[in-house]
Amino acid sequence: MNTHAIELTTRDGSQFRFNCADDQNLLAAAADAHIVLPAQCGYGNCGTCYADVTQGDYTLGKYNPTALNAEAKEKGGTLLCCTFPHSDLHISLPFDHDRVLIGEIKIRSAEIIAIKTVGENTLRLELCLAPDENGGNGAEFEPGQFMELEVPGHDIKRAYSLSNTGNWEGKLEFLIRLQPRGLFSTWLKEQATVGQMLLVHGPKGSFGLYESGLKPRWFVAGGTGLAPMLSMLRRMAEFQEPHPARLYFGVNRAEELFCQAELNALQTELPQLQVIYCVWKPEDNWDGFCGTPVDALTQDLMSTTVMPDIYLCGPPKLIDAAETTARAHGVPDNQILSERFLPAS
Amino acid sequence: MFCYQCEQTDRSNIESGCATAKGMCGKDATTSDLQDLLIHAIEGIAQYTKRARALNVQDNAADEFILYGMFTTLTNVNFNATRFSTLIQDAAKIRDRVKTSYITAALAAGQAPEELTGSAVWQPASDLDGLLKQAADVGINAGLENVGPDIIGLRSLVLYGLKGVCAYAHHAYALGKESPTVYAGIEDALDFLSTAPTDVDALLNQSMALGTLNLEVMALLDEANTGSFGAQQPTQVLITPTLGKAILVSGHDLGDLAALLEQTKDSGINIYTHGEMLPAHAYPKLKAYPHLVGNYGGAWQDQQKEFAEFPGAILMTSNCIIEPLPQYRQRIFTAGPVGWPGVRHIGDKNFAPLIQAANALPGFKTEVSPKTITIGFGRDAVMGVADKVIDAVKSGAIKHFFLVGGCDGAASGRNYYTDFAEQAPQDTVIMTLGCAKYRFNQHDFGDIGGIPRLLDLGQCNDSYSAIKIATALAGAFECGVNELPLSLIISWFEQKAAAVLLTLLALGIRNIRLGPTLPAFLTPNLVQVLVDKFGLLPNTTAQADIEASLSRKAA
Repeated sequence: MNTHAIELTTRDGSQFRFNCADDQNLLAAAADAHIVLPAQCGYGNCGTCYADVTQGDYTLGKYNPTALNAEAKEKGGTLLCCTFPHSDLHISLPFDHDRVLIGEIKIRSAEIIAIKTVGENTLRLELCLAPDENGGNGAEFEPGQFMELEVPGHDIKRAYSLSNTGNWEGKLEFLIRLQPRGLFSTWLKEQATVGQMLLVHGPKGSFGLYESGLKPRWFVAGGTGLAPMLSMLRRMAEFQEPHPARLYFGVNRAEELFCQAELNALQTELPQLQVIYCVWKPEDNWDGFCGTPVDALTQDLMSTTVMPDIYLCGPPKLIDAAETTARAHGVPDNQILSERFLPAS
Repeated sequence: MFCYQCEQTDRSNIESGCATAKGMCGKDATTSDLQDLLIHAIEGIAQYTKRARALNVQDNAADEFILYGMFTTLTNVNFNATRFSTLIQDAAKIRDRVKTSYITAALAAGQAPEELTGSAVWQPASDLDGLLKQAADVGINAGLENVGPDIIGLRSLVLYGLKGVCAYAHHAYALGKESPTVYAGIEDALDFLSTAPTDVDALLNQSMALGTLNLEVMALLDEANTGSFGAQQPTQVLITPTLGKAILVSGHDLGDLAALLEQTKDSGINIYTHGEMLPAHAYPKLKAYPHLVGNYGGAWQDQQKEFAEFPGAILMTSNCIIEPLPQYRQRIFTAGPVGWPGVRHIGDKNFAPLIQAANALPGFKTEVSPKTITIGFGRDAVMGVADKVIDAVKSGAIKHFFLVGGCDGAASGRNYYTDFAEQAPQDTVIMTLGCAKYRFNQHDFGDIGGIPRLLDLGQCNDSYSAIKIATALAGAFECGVNELPLSLIISWFEQKAAAVLLTLLALGIRNIRLGPTLPAFLTPNLVQVLVDKFGLLPNTTAQADIEASLSRKAA
């Protein structure tokens, strides 16, 4: 067995180094060195640990092709959780160093304080963290991050993006699409009650605002992909950030829309925010945009002179289509940030 | 970007200076370029406020904006590009307002308004790409190929000294003290810089004028501090934690600290000072708050480790922030000119979110045996025992005074100051100020006939105290400051120190040792001028420099 020197370089030029044996995946080796990289599923299914290998040889284990498309893979794109080195590697990470945690992911208990249906097949789940081992009550996370929710006693752990912002009351808010035969969905529908306790792992993930960017911010959300966008927009409102902002929020049918009241409230606090509701298969009485959010994005990109930072969240097909249209209209790769919602397998 | 305003600037290339995507301080190229552009815009305001002032028209809001705007561009103050893009647009609007007032006043006085050019007529681009294109023409290095490095270096000396003057003036302003002559002096310097000056003598004269102006500003600040909180008194300060919820306050703004102390009165939260906030414990009206319990940590460059370990909320006032790590990014708050993208800013002294964070955080849960240090030897405390000090000098018990102080920093060469203080002979007294003191302020220096051998004068902002003490000693011994058995060992890092250096030079004080390295913007020719005119000395080794000081081998 050989050990290889791995060098990671973040988007903002910071470097992390650790060693990795050739039978160990990079994500696990980094964690052994107390370098916790944004990741979720750990077996090549979700795409959260995407990175680019710029130098060296490696094997990519079994992975989900919707988490890493062939074009990206061809150019050195990889998923760290299923990458095994054959040589020393230089790897470029698509996020800044402040998303690399030195230490361990926190696991805390949280009480369910509300479960509310907000749209067809969509729930808002609100939790309140119990004090941590030091008696701390804060919910400390960056907008755009997610938590993994674990139901004690059941073999259920699922990742959901947070839709609120960091706070000192321990509040966590999630928007959850009920999947027809999903384990967590079924538990949520049939067994979850206010007062029950969950375990939350996190915060995790590198998706979030490009804080030092000054470009207009366009957010493209499919369904509950709205959650991290709400979090980021709420942060912008709290900080009164002046960036021009647009939200393209897409659903299949108008009945599936949700959080309009929250978005209206946000527009009061963030007057420059434009919200474009996109309904793919509308009824005759729908007077908003007809089509997908990618259709609306494409239309607006044709007439814009300043290329915006584009934030994408939703199903992989939506993200692939949005990335394709953004690139076709000249948006540089480093201005496209995405979070893919993939079904758990 | 091109920036070489601080001591830690990149010196790995033949031409010193930070010129890549990110400076040594963590400032990214966009922010750096926007800071250059903001200074350009502020010069435009000053071109008009100066002329309006000559016609007895003042615009205090514009004056305050100049101080604040300049302060945001000092090292380790504001890293938020968004903030700068807003400030640049604000600057252009303020400039236009002052311009209108000036033209109106000139016409009313029967004068033809001057047709100004450069910054006075510049208009900011509406988007980032446009602003960055504009910034390319206005950085400190602009015109280098035509005027050469000496002129650029002298302009830098003026600009960076001026930034320090503005920062100190803003500190005084924050406590309600301002002065039209100070504003006029600042506007003169900005107006001068807007002409892209090339005359060496004019640039040197402007530097000295700023040194003199800064003395006035330091006096104003001294008045603001002592007027608001009383004169510093020798005080024992706890440097170990106390059980309970906690807030750590760093930076220099005593007004922010006072407001927080008032808002946390009887809340059960303990307030700790960090870095340059340490002298707060010596002011009667601040130490009257029992929950101002102690000092935590050391100088600014250690904050990432110390803040990560601090079990409470953190407030960074005025300056000296470095990148907040993820471990404490949610629980650090900025105030005043400070900023970091993605970190919550409190602009109105309503510290409720900070207090809420402190209540939600664990605080200190383990008791440790208490340790203290003594601080609070501002000019009143030292002058109060002047007779004793003078007698000790006359009797030979005190052979020499050293002022070892200024900024601290991460560079390993700064151990020089620890060595210097600790190796100074037992019959010498060390006065200190600024955060450089953390390198030796826990060392037991003992006393000379009851006079502590280490006298902590306060913040870098308290340099005025040092000057007053030196002047008083010179008066008592009927000699000039340069004839006193006193050596100044100054550690610099950023632009406030540049302003203080100009003040010392303007006062004619010679033989100052400046380190740990000389400013990168001083070319060999300029260093030679300072050596010839002022006997400025670079550091060698602590022992050699102590010996040279004691035997007065200095130039």
